[in-house]
Formats: sequence, C-alpha cells, structure tokens
Amino acid sequence: MEMLTPRKRLSFTGNGGELFSVMIVNWLLTFITLGLYYPWAKARRLQYFYDHLELDGHPFHFRGTGREMFIGFIKAVVLFGVIYGAFFALTWMQEDWASLLAYLLLFSAIIALTPLVIHGTYRYRMGRSSWRGIHFGYRGDLKELYGICIRDGILTLVTFGIYGAWFQMNLRNYVVGHIRYGSSSFQYKGDGLDFFLMNLKGYLLTIFTFGIYSFWWQRDIFNYYVNNLSWQFPEGRRIQFNSSATGGGFFGLLVGNFFLVVFTLGIGLAWAHVRMMRYIMANVEMVGDADLDSVVQTEQEHASATADELGDIMDIGIFL
Amino acid sequence: MSTLFKANFYDGLTSKPKDALVGLREPGSLEVETDGERIHWPLEHPDMEWERSGSMLRITFGEHPRRVLIVREPVFIKSFVMRMQYAGRRGVYDRTLSVARRGPLLFFLALVLVLVGGYFWVLPFAAERMALLLPLEVDKQLGKASYGSIMLGLPEDTARSAVLQRFGDKLQLSEKFDLRFHLVESEQVNAFAMPGGDIVVFSGIVDGMEHPGQLAALLAHEATHVDERHSTRMMVRQMAGYLFLSLLLGDVNAVVALVAENADNLRNLSYSRGLETDADAHGMERMEAAGIDPHGMVQLLELLEKESADMPEEMAFLSSHPLTTHRIEQARRKAASTERTTKVDAELQRLFQELKTPSPSVNP
Repeated sequence: MEMLTPRKRLSFTGNGGELFSVMIVNWLLTFITLGLYYPWAKARRLQYFYDHLELDGHPFHFRGTGREMFIGFIKAVVLFGVIYGAFFALTWMQEDWASLLAYLLLFSAIIALTPLVIHGTYRYRMGRSSWRGIHFGYRGDLKELYGICIRDGILTLVTFGIYGAWFQMNLRNYVVGHIRYGSSSFQYKGDGLDFFLMNLKGYLLTIFTFGIYSFWWQRDIFNYYVNNLSWQFPEGRRIQFNSSATGGGFFGLLVGNFFLVVFTLGIGLAWAHVRMMRYIMANVEMVGDADLDSVVQTEQEHASATADELGDIMDIGIFL
Repeated sequence: MSTLFKANFYDGLTSKPKDALVGLREPGSLEVETDGERIHWPLEHPDMEWERSGSMLRITFGEHPRRVLIVREPVFIKSFVMRMQYAGRRGVYDRTLSVARRGPLLFFLALVLVLVGGYFWVLPFAAERMALLLPLEVDKQLGKASYGSIMLGLPEDTARSAVLQRFGDKLQLSEKFDLRFHLVESEQVNAFAMPGGDIVVFSGIVDGMEHPGQLAALLAHEATHVDERHSTRMMVRQMAGYLFLSLLLGDVNAVVALVAENADNLRNLSYSRGLETDADAHGMERMEAAGIDPHGMVQLLELLEKESADMPEEMAFLSSHPLTTHRIEQARRKAASTERTTKVDAELQRLFQELKTPSPSVNP
C-alpha cells in the first residue's frame, strides 16, 4: 500500500501568455461569428483552467464541449426570448395593469429560474469534471433546493436582507454537501450568524478605514469559504481544506490586478486571471488521513448545459 | 520496435494512478503497457478522444467510465499529434491558435489593426449602404414617433407656420418627402429637421433675417437633412458602431468599454459635422435649382455667426456642428462659382414680409 502524504497541494500551472492566446482566439472567433461561437469559447476557456489546475500533480479534466453548450445556449436564448418577448408585448400595450403584469412576470420568471439554474449548472459542471479518471457529480434534489430558496428568500425579504447571510450559508451547505467525487463527497459547514457577523464587521471597518479594510474583508470571506470545506471519505476518513491567505496577500493581488488590467486597456486580463488562480491555489492546503487513491467511480455523466448557459444570460455567478 | 514513453494511466474504475508506457504502433494503434499488461487502442476509433493542452497530451478511450492516459513527453506528443492530424483534419480553432501562439502579442496587434481598419472604413461604408436600403417609410415613422414628443413643450404659431409652408412649398426642396414646416415661438436662433419631412424653425432666427434669400437658405439646408436622410444614416451608423463595439468588448472590463464608447461618440460627432457641411453645400444646389441666389447661404451663416458664440477653435473636434467661420468660407467659395443675382421672386418677398410680422395671438 502506498504511503499517505498528509498534505496535498493544489497548484495552477497556467501562464499568462498561453491563456492570452486562448483568449484572443476565442475573442476573434466570437466576434467573427457575431457571438455564435460563444459556447465554444467558453468550453475552451474552462478547459484551459481545468487542464492547468493540478491536485497532487494530477490535472483536472473538463469534458464539456462547445457543441453541447451551444445546444444549451440556444435553448436558454429561446427561453429568455419568450420571457422578454412577453415582457415587451405587455409594456407595448401602454396600460397600467399590463406594465404591472409585465414586471411581475419578468421578476417572477427570474426568481423561479434561479434555483433551476443553480441545480442545472452544478449537475452539468460536476458531471463533466473529473480527476484521475473519476467523475465528479452533483446529487442535490431540485425540490429541496426550491424549498430552501423559497423559505430563505421570503425570510430575507421580510428581514430587509439581513437573513441573506443565512440564506447564502444554507445554500452553500446544501449545494456543496451534494457534490460527489466518485465514492467520496464534500461537506460545507457554514453558519449564518458567523457569516453575518463577519460581513458586518468587514462592512463597518471598510467604511471606517475608507476602503482599506476591504482586502482583509475579502480574506475573511475567502477563508470562511475554504476553512469550512472538507472532503469526506468512507470509514470516517476526511481531508480538511485550510486557507493561508492574508489580507496583505489579497491587497497585492487585487491592486496589482487592477493596474494590470487598467493600464494595459484590458490586454493584461489573462495575466490577472493567472495571478488570481495562482494565489488562490497556493493558499489552499489540504490536510487529512484519507487516501486519494481509494476513490471508486460512481457518478454518471450529465450532458445538458441549458442551465449553465441560462446562468450566463442571467449573470448568476454561482460557481465556486 | 519503436521506443515507449512514460505516461500516467487512470483506469476509470478507481482514482489510483498507474504508471504506464505508451508507444505508437503501425498500422494505426496505440500501445499501452501497464501492470505488466499490454493493451492496444485503435487510433481511428470513434471512442478515442485526444487533446493537447500546453505541454500535456490527454488521450481518453472507451465508453463511460473512460480510461485516461496523460503523457508529458514532448517527443511522443509531437509524433502522436502529427500522426493524428495526418489522419484527420485540423479545425479552424487549432489552426488559429497555433498562429496565435507563435507570437501572441504580434498576433494581437495585427488583429487590432484589422479591427481598427474595419471600424473606421468598412463599418461606416457598410452602414451607409445599409441605411440607404431602408425604405423611405422608416424615415417617416421615425419622424412621426419623435415629432410628437419634441413638439410637446414648444409653442407653435400655426398662422405663421402656414405662411412658412407656402414659402417652403414654392421652393420645391424635396423630391422624396412631403415637407411640413413649423414655426415655433422662441428666442433661440435655431432650426432643425426631423426625418420624414417635419422642419421646425424658431422665430428667433427668422427675426434676425434681412431678406428672403436667408430663409430660403435655411430651409434648403434643413431640407437637405431630410431629403438625404441624414438622421437615418446617422442612426444606422451609431447602431452599427455600438453593435461592433459591444461584440468586440463583450468580455472586457468596464473601463475599456467606457473609453471605446466615448471614442465612438467622437467619431460620430465628426460624421455629424460632415453632414452639416454637406447640408450647406447641397442646400445651395437646391437653392440654385429653385432659382434662388445661393449667396443667401453665406448671409444666413453670417447671421448665425453674429448671433451665436462658437466654441473656441481648439475645441472644434467636440462640436456636432463645424465652426461657422469654416462654413462661411466654404459657402463663399461655392457661391463664387455662380452669378450673383439681386432678383428675388416677388411672391417669396411678400411671404417673407408676412412672416416677419408677428401674429397677434400665439397658439401654445
């Protein structure tokens, strides 16, 4: 039996020049095709990031294709076309009740679609991701997710947004808790109150320090996401994620990236992405007694990308 | 027997990586040696997928759960890729990417040059052609839609409008559109034309006029805007520019988008100045065709210069109208080629006088 190394490392091996080539070609082809190439461009970009993300020296793999994303893209565009079509048709009538109905329709459609987008995006992304030939998977239940979103959504509304911290944590606990890697699974243990107090502190201090504290606030959020994440293996074995990110580190990263992008008029975007990935991966540490070789294949592939594309149109950035 | 190369092999059953040796075997198969076993994967099999990413080659085989091979040996990667590309076709993507990778910045600069060229020369040309293909009905609808809201707060003097209408009709300024002239009670020294034929003249500019030639010049100028569909052309150009930029900058940060949008506005302003000069020149041709002395345009512009303070010359690039002094110069040059006549149509003279006397009551 292979000896276990207690510390596993994540690393990002991409470089700015290479990513830049991928991005300009994507950009060129998307432009020439009047945007129709977008799903393929997205697949290429994701593949680049997965291929250069390594755990213990082994790369991740994203098997999603532009073709299946294109199908999802078309479905999402049609769905949104219908919703917007109805919205404009109603506002066109220039009647009070019709425009009220139009906004009601638009907002309720967006709210109703959000859990579906989260569910579908995780199913697709996870179903298409693998490491060492073993697939990830998402086994969350759509009805349960709707339950959380409706209950917490209402609570967030009546508490004027305060419950939003609990909402975010419940959502993250649920979604991450249903991610599988073969026979192993993930767990997130976030607490609404902790998260709320941390954000309150970050918000107030950011105001008092004229924004300077925002980098430490960013670090707190990042650490809260990482330190509460663990990877569960059979027989109670586990791997715990730990963050070693610092406020100073985030300061250097974010300020550097800002200048990198602004002073190059956007050309430096690829290098900024790479810096970000390198920093994050260098500061996530995995400690535990589980054997990474012991995972058995259990998950199926999932090839419908509609929700993923819908999420892009609605601009829901949910992906961890 | 050719050499074997080191690789990582994942069997798709467990996450345990295995060391493997791979090599290409003719005709058309990949030999994989792992755990003392030797397997052959046919290269042309539909279940065989491969992709190269940076210094890594990934080959997967079989149905789910697929078996995966990862090779990082440059020599093997090169011969494998050559073998596969010989068999299959390379996509547009791979070809473009391989060009881009040879010199990303050079490629980028060349791209930028092509796009800038497209933006400054191809796009305006295409937009112009596109605008002229639109039916005249578009201008009329556009005018109708905006006319109501623009005139909402402006007090029109209907009695004097009718006089202005007779004056304008006599000049026969447009072949394509029925021109409707409106006189608005206002101190402003201004006039404007809407697409489709509505021309609005403020009383402030008429009050400053000394003879009918100036009014004829003003109407001819505005009629040129209508007849040559300047608004529609401008709109199509702006839309094309906006579409081009938003497609181009879809993913780029807001700062760049803002810079680009402002640059686009500057470009449109320069086009707009071109349209004004155009309306002056073609307006004078229209005057000549109607038997009016085109020097009226020069006098109209002199009136405008007297009445309004221009921007300083250094700021001229920010203006939607060219400097009046430039316009006067150009109009003089053009008018010089025609005979100066003092003959003014008696009917026009009479209408002009009637217009200059304000009506007793103003309909708001």
